[in-house]
Amino acid sequence: MSTPPAKRQKRDQYRKRAAAAANEDTGKVKLPQKKFYRQRAHANPFSDHQLDYPLSPAHMDWSSHYPAFVNPDPEQKNLAGARKLLKDVEVVDIGCGFGGLLVGLAPLLPETLMLGMEIRTQVIEYVENRIQALRTQQNQLKNSSTTASESPAPAIPAEPATDGASPDAASTPETSNSPVPGGYQNISALRSNTMKFFPNFFGKQQLSKIFICFPDPHFKAKKHKARIISENLNAEYAYALKPGGLLYTITDVEEYHHWVLRHFREEGEHEASEGGVKDLFERVSEEELASDPCVEVMRESTEEGKKVTRNKGNKYVAVFRRKADPEWPA
Amino acid sequence: MAANFQLPLQCLQYLEKRGAESQRFLIASSGGKIYSYAAETGQRLSSWPQDVDASNANNSKATETETGSEDQAPPEKKRKVSPSEEGPAETSKSTVKASTWSSIPCLVAHSNGDYVIALTAEDKCVRVLRLKDDGTLEQLSERCMPKRPCSIALTDDGNTILCGDKFGDVYSLPLLPGNEPYVAPKLPNRPKVPSATPLTVHSKRNLESLEQQLRYSQKNSTEEKNSLNFQHQLLLGHVSLLTDVAFVTVPQDDNFGKKRSYILTGDRDEHIRVSRYPQAHIIEGYCLGHTAFVTKLCIPQYAPGYLISGGGDDYLLVWKWSEGRILQKVPLVKQESETTQVTVRGIWATSIGGSNIVLVALEGSSNLQCFVLGSDGTLKPQDPIEMSGNVLDVAIMEKDSTIVVSVDCIREKGSTHEWRASPTSPSNLIESFRVKPGTENLEWEPVTESLVTNINMGGSSGIPADADTKQRKELNDVLYSLGNLRKKHGEDD
Ligand SMILES: C[S@@+](CC[C@H](N)C(=O)[O-])C[C@H]1O[C@@H](n2cnc3c(N)ncnc32)[C@H](O)[C@@H]1O
Repeated sequence: MSTPPAKRQKRDQYRKRAAAAANEDTGKVKLPQKKFYRQRAHANPFSDHQLDYPLSPAHMDWSSHYPAFVNPDPEQKNLAGARKLLKDVEVVDIGCGFGGLLVGLAPLLPETLMLGMEIRTQVIEYVENRIQALRTQQNQLKNSSTTASESPAPAIPAEPATDGASPDAASTPETSNSPVPGGYQNISALRSNTMKFFPNFFGKQQLSKIFICFPDPHFKAKKHKARIISENLNAEYAYALKPGGLLYTITDVEEYHHWVLRHFREEGEHEASEGGVKDLFERVSEEELASDPCVEVMRESTEEGKKVTRNKGNKYVAVFRRKADPEWPA
Repeated sequence: MAANFQLPLQCLQYLEKRGAESQRFLIASSGGKIYSYAAETGQRLSSWPQDVDASNANNSKATETETGSEDQAPPEKKRKVSPSEEGPAETSKSTVKASTWSSIPCLVAHSNGDYVIALTAEDKCVRVLRLKDDGTLEQLSERCMPKRPCSIALTDDGNTILCGDKFGDVYSLPLLPGNEPYVAPKLPNRPKVPSATPLTVHSKRNLESLEQQLRYSQKNSTEEKNSLNFQHQLLLGHVSLLTDVAFVTVPQDDNFGKKRSYILTGDRDEHIRVSRYPQAHIIEGYCLGHTAFVTKLCIPQYAPGYLISGGGDDYLLVWKWSEGRILQKVPLVKQESETTQVTVRGIWATSIGGSNIVLVALEGSSNLQCFVLGSDGTLKPQDPIEMSGNVLDVAIMEKDSTIVVSVDCIREKGSTHEWRASPTSPSNLIESFRVKPGTENLEWEPVTESLVTNINMGGSSGIPADADTKQRKELNDVLYSLGNLRKKHGEDD
């Protein structure tokens, strides 16, 4: 599948302009349109992509991701010589797609640094531009209310299209023209293959929440190794989560939901037996989830979640709490 | 007719039997065979699998390979032997035929000296052999793994084999399977309906997946098919290609007499993971500092708190592995040059005459680098030892202050693919060195005793000097495959 050159050129031009415009401090800031960022549906998590990843978490330069949170002391540098932040990233959206979850969570946890990770290049480019545009909009709103000079025209929200073929009928403006707590300074995204490089970004017990929303189902049994939830990967997620931290999952595929429960040993042949990841995770009760606003964001703000709502599909939620490491056997 | 090349000894292990009188052996794999030698004299005691017995002699295909050391035909000629050709189904355990594999890339000696664990390449089998007092080898078990294993380690009690495979999984297997036939754990009956319904599919991407699944489920829809018919446990997995597995037990400082065990795993994506054993789903930490693939993890027995790791970088790293802390970066090449890419083939640690020695060989190099590990965990370089051919493996006889090095007598020094113009007779299969006593620095003197001359005189399997390009390439690939781990960039989406 190759894109006709003319179309590709148009796309490239659009994306360049959008990236530049997202940074402009004056005039109308448009949010990027998704249709210019489409890409092949799947990227193989096993192949070698040309990915940037830090040598270790202590080598990661977060300063460009969260400029508002950079430590004011320029002497505070990490192992790679990059400026340190005032706090660590604590929330991660694995396979963040077009970033709907991050945008939804940003005002809920304005003081918490959150990161989306996504393997597809064009998709991540869209999220980056989207976040940049939102930040710029917010800055403008802030400035206009404080200086009360000539008020800039309200930002024109773009319609977030779907990544499917059909045009999105129910496109709604996603930004209000009022200031939002945190001004989207607390969210960012980067390209990565989380199945291979998660430990390069996050240290032991660094995270308080991990989200995995509408993961690619890989229905074919042969391809189940490509699923982003497995006992092996759950061990890595457990490593990065603080005791008490939460791992959120949502899927519209019933079988995948049961797969999730089995791989956290909440169901299936190992349910009763202790050991395995069951040492590390326990399922969070429905009552507790009812009062967790993150669950609502996961259901309704993700692009996939919206799609499922429109198609009147089911959504299956399972959330797990990281337990403390078990004692070493005596 | 030109003389034959001798097939090098790919793996070399030293074994000491703990019996009434101690018996000492060298065990080597070469092509599809394993030889045992008396460590004192170098006399060859046996060759495994045994020569084909008379009853099978009518099978001309089988006789082609099994003619001992005077063999004219290359044993690694791959022959596809279907079960029907293999003769009677109930061939006794001791008459295994080297017909389904052409190389044994991994050989591990059990610490009590009674067993050898061998990995046969093409059939992906872990084979446990008993080493008898007379030096003959008898196969006790063969366990074929689902994916090609790449590394084998033993737990320190010697009762469990840890086997890492290319797909990143590490299994544990009992050294000696029980007598009872293995009963696979029953999987609950899950309805074999497609996991997606039109209701759950909202996008083209999911629709494609569903169509795939519907097609697939007509053939076979059982997931996690459990086809291993022996006791095993999946301990942990990397999504990246796994390269090495190490096991270590350390005493706890604050808790006298208590010990804790860990399993360390290295992968192609530069990671070294430290997991608890046997609760390997609890990751204790990572040692991150390599910028290229990891090939070897070495935890010296004399200093179990340290890890020495190497791979596709032109340096070794010395770690305090429990903290994921780098103690030292040790250069492996004199000048850093852009053009030469080095790959660590082996790291060996031994304690001889009060010195804690670390030996390092690079892939396709005849130079065995020597270091002394200080108590602060730093490696001090010593004079290297130059071999007559590329270093393949090292066996260590601590009591004799001696190392035995298997060398490549086919390829030119320094090359993984260029063959020598002609074989020498006898070929140097091994060289041996002894630490010179009473010298201040680490100095080695060559061992010339019968051990060396007998093994080299005895030869292995002959490879015709006029082997064609294709056969040469096949043989090169068997011995030198680590370089393939290097990533070739540019093939992105
Ligand atoms: C079905 S989409 C869901 C997107 C988003 N979470 C949502 O709910 O709208 C799954 C996403 O995961 C991404 N993905 C799959 N494997 C990944 C990996 N190994 N690392 C990072 N992202 C991955 C895919 O590219 C895709 O964008």
